[in-house]
Amino acid sequence: MSGRRKIVAGRKLGDSRSIVTILATTFCAFAGMVSVTRQAPVPYALKYPANFGSRFTIPTDNPTTLEGVYLGRMLFYEKRLSANGKLSCESCHEQNRAFTDGRPVSMGVDGSFTPRSSMSLANLLWVRNFFWDGRSQSLEAQAAFPLTDPHEMGQTLAESVIKLQKTAPYPVIFQSAFGETGITEQNILKALAQFERTLISADAPYDRYLAGRYQPTEAELRGMQLFENGPDPKRGIRGANCGHCHGGPKMFKELFHNNGLDRAFADPGREKVTAQSMDKGRFRVPTLRNILLTAPYMHDGRFKTIEAVLDHYSEHIQQSETLSSFLQDVSNEEGGKNLSLAPQEKKDIIAFFGMLTDSTFVTNPAFSNPHSISKNR
Amino acid sequence: MQGIKKFSSKFFVCAALLSALVTHGYAQSTATLIVSGEVATPLELKAQDLASMKQISHKVKDRDGKEHEFKGVALIEILEKAGVTTGAKLRGENLAKYALITAADGYEVLYALAEIDPEFTDQMILLATEKDGQPLPSGEGPFRIIKPGDKKPARWIREVRSIKIAFAKN
Ligand code: HEC
Ligand code: HEC
Repeated sequence: MSGRRKIVAGRKLGDSRSIVTILATTFCAFAGMVSVTRQAPVPYALKYPANFGSRFTIPTDNPTTLEGVYLGRMLFYEKRLSANGKLSCESCHEQNRAFTDGRPVSMGVDGSFTPRSSMSLANLLWVRNFFWDGRSQSLEAQAAFPLTDPHEMGQTLAESVIKLQKTAPYPVIFQSAFGETGITEQNILKALAQFERTLISADAPYDRYLAGRYQPTEAELRGMQLFENGPDPKRGIRGANCGHCHGGPKMFKELFHNNGLDRAFADPGREKVTAQSMDKGRFRVPTLRNILLTAPYMHDGRFKTIEAVLDHYSEHIQQSETLSSFLQDVSNEEGGKNLSLAPQEKKDIIAFFGMLTDSTFVTNPAFSNPHSISKNR
Repeated sequence: MQGIKKFSSKFFVCAALLSALVTHGYAQSTATLIVSGEVATPLELKAQDLASMKQISHKVKDRDGKEHEFKGVALIEILEKAGVTTGAKLRGENLAKYALITAADGYEVLYALAEIDPEFTDQMILLATEKDGQPLPSGEGPFRIIKPGDKKPARWIREVRSIKIAFAKN
């Protein structure tokens, strides 16, 4: 059946070939005339290793283009998008910290603090539910939160449009990226999303190891084993079972769990989004890429060091109704209640985390502040 | 350990009942199973809806290496209730349809429709609500898929929240 359909389609194409040629010629001539004022945006090729998979969707009304990505980068570092002209996305997402800010919670334009800790912006292309509670379903929608939240950048999108219109470069750059529509609220969000999709981290030693181009140290290898294995004291297998939630080539699985931080929850997390009591205290499992650059840790930045995180999983998991079943009765001791990692094992896992630091990503000039670059020139 | 688990699951049931009483009107806090996608009738099922459907059970070895009796509704019954193209309609392009099942934690597994339809297979996939005569405990229930034929229980997805029927597209 499908074979016949193809043939039919082929014949149709043949019949109408001459019409197509004429149409194409006319279009080219027309496009040639138009392009004197404006060239169509050039598609941006997103590059990533095959083992990352291609399970992502880019909205059809916002294809990634060179012009759009460049504009998005300008906007990401644009302080005019904040109410007091002092904050940009960078204020809470610094490249050299894998786009986090080194603070437990961040300060917004009104001097108050965000309720949660800033998140790393790496490999967002593969994220489907944004924020610690997964409340936003696209990068386009997500960007409106920090821009307009009175405790973050605190400026309406309409106000941002007016401010950008008054500048010299932006009207031209918006036109090159989006054509006639120019500077609009939607185009601000679209451009930011395009830039964020290009923030791909895929050149850590771990990536090179998976590609057969890096030989881990003894400690890194031991740490990797512990990270991947579930403990099985009866069979003499030691493990930390981290990979169950954090594993895979991207070091990210989109899951929501309660990882035993508390017995009672100041922040209900996922429950607020789903309104299901079983989701109380669940948060999105964050990426562990560049994890040694993104302290402090957890949704409220409660752990200052990675050592404190390991101590948490090893000895301090808090019981509650919604505690993940993957963290219950998992122990390196027969009948034990705690994971009980040895001090050296914690060090080994941290050594493995060193393999997740992607210095290419945090120094990539394509992700840096374009405004300071043009100043330096 | 088992004792503690049982206790905590009992405690959870009590707590759930209590909070259901307290927050009466907070309709969402009782778990629902959503069936959507390529269906004639989208469904939102609660435990009591499933209890009123035909019950079947399977005795299978779970991850713990022990045999358990799981009871619930055949997945096919739920799909039929939603008007999915099963039985005589499961032919032609409909064979490229699948059920994507999502858990509360976001874990996802997939079954092709033909894996679920008893006209194609003897392995009756179960949407379980009970284990060994008890409601499934928190972290596992209230709904869990059991597929007797799978050697690895990775697709026996726990805490099922939604079933989406879709066409494979490429
Ligand atoms: C005042 C600090 C602050 C500013 C400014 C800020 N962010 Fe954030 N960002 C945060 C915090 C805090 C979170 C986590 C919030 C939550 O989960 O509720 C976050 C989360 C995110 C996420 C979600 C990442 C994920 O993996 O889900 C993205 C994307 C993001 N920010 C992009 C931006 C963009 C784009 C801008 C500029 C338009 C920006 N942020 C400005 C603090 C900030
Ligand atoms: C049951 C799933 C699960 C397992 C298993 C698990 N984690 Fe986590 N992890 C989470 C969740 C959920 C969070 C975020 C929790 C929050 O902030 O409320 C998290 C957060 C973290 C963070 C902080 C990330 C950040 O950006 O702040 C680190 C580091 C971490 N985990 C390391 C580990 C290590 C090491 C192991 C193994 C010993 C492990 N995890 C096992 C679910 C898990």
